[in-house]
Amino acid sequence: MKVSISYALGITFSLTIHGLIIAAMYGGWKAEPERIVIQPRFIDAKLVELAPKQKVIKQKKNADANAAQRKRDSQRRRAAEKKKADALKNRQRQAEIDRKEKERLAKEREEQREQREQAEKERLAELQRQQKEQEFADAIAEEKSLLSAQQDEREANSYRQLIQQRLSENWNRPPSARRGMETMIRLQLVPTGRVVGVTVLKSSGDSAFDRSVEQAAFKADQFIELQKMSPSLFEKKFRQVDVLFSPQDLRL
Amino acid sequence: MNEENLSILALILNAGVLVQAVMGILLIASVMSWIMIVQRGIFLNHAQTSFREFEDTFWSGVDLAQFYQELTDKAKESGVSNGIENVFRAGFREFNRLTQSDKTDPDAVMEGADRAMRVALSREDEKLGTNLPFLANVASVSPYIGLFGTVWGIMVTVRGLGMMQQATLAAVAPGISEALIPTAMGLFAAIPAVIAYNRYAAKVEAINASYETFSDEFSSILHRQVYSR
Repeated sequence: MKVSISYALGITFSLTIHGLIIAAMYGGWKAEPERIVIQPRFIDAKLVELAPKQKVIKQKKNADANAAQRKRDSQRRRAAEKKKADALKNRQRQAEIDRKEKERLAKEREEQREQREQAEKERLAELQRQQKEQEFADAIAEEKSLLSAQQDEREANSYRQLIQQRLSENWNRPPSARRGMETMIRLQLVPTGRVVGVTVLKSSGDSAFDRSVEQAAFKADQFIELQKMSPSLFEKKFRQVDVLFSPQDLRL
Repeated sequence: MNEENLSILALILNAGVLVQAVMGILLIASVMSWIMIVQRGIFLNHAQTSFREFEDTFWSGVDLAQFYQELTDKAKESGVSNGIENVFRAGFREFNRLTQSDKTDPDAVMEGADRAMRVALSREDEKLGTNLPFLANVASVSPYIGLFGTVWGIMVTVRGLGMMQQATLAAVAPGISEALIPTAMGLFAAIPAVIAYNRYAAKVEAINASYETFSDEFSSILHRQVYSR
């Protein structure tokens, strides 16, 4: 009797506690997802930003051109009308048939001119559209080349790191080496990854240290991993590569 | 991926099968251990108070035969009897039975009564100690179970990381976070169980000691009665 009651109490208490905890987790203990998940979206943004800016400029230019043309047109038209009015005054007494004929001719000419103008306008619009498309394609191409340049840069960095690591593996520490010494060396490489030349670009101030770095480069002999690199990247960045050698692990 | 919910509950629901199984085991262990904790707490408290009450009545100079009758009636009425009353009743019953036949040797009477009390005592000891081994088990094993879940989760996460092109923190963090939940749950189950086990073990020990003291005292009373006849 007593035992079963105490068990019932225990079960209720336990389930209540666990239920409360689960409810608390469901409600309150949320990590803020907005802050944690930030995806880099700069690529999209760049494209979107580029296109409307140019469009706006284009439209402005277009509007300017149109306005100028209209102005010229109206000036021309005004002059023609003036001339026509003068002729009318002179030949007022002439037969009406004559005048009608002339008017008809003038109208015809006007129509032709309008047609020509229309054609010209269409041609301009077409040209403009093509130009816009061309510019858009250019922008995309530029973006792409930028992306591939970034990709290249990343890859190049990983290879540069590899070279640095290999150098420090092959490096014998001269007794005069001190913390903070840096030597910039230029490696001449061939596509097999073999080192064919080493020059010191920026000395650390300690010739023994410089020499040791040079020796390390010659000892490394061949960076076989460079063979996996694309030839264009090699030509661009690794035919001659500058490496800054600065040992971090000196306990001096 | 962007809108992934990182609440703990979502992490639990999205975890791998094995990790989820570990978490399920730990949840069950936690629920069970809390049931035991509450039940044992009530039971041991009750045992202590009833022992105190019993001693008060016993040493108040009541007639032993009458007291025995009362307790037997009460036990018959409620159907159960616990604790020190059982020890007393077992000892007194045996004593009465042995003394009813006049020929029995006083030593044999005492021996019989003592044996009966010893048996009752060990039964009571057993009753007090039920479920404590379960608490001890939960206390010692559930951190290991949780750790196993964590190690497995991290293993899977790191293996997945190897297949990725770029190792970003955002790619690993949810997995690690998910993997750490089992350890948290293991500790959550284990800590109350450890505390409760230590506390209750000490309590059981104390109650047992007082039972034994009482049975010795009662035995000395019976001894006096046997030899004063």
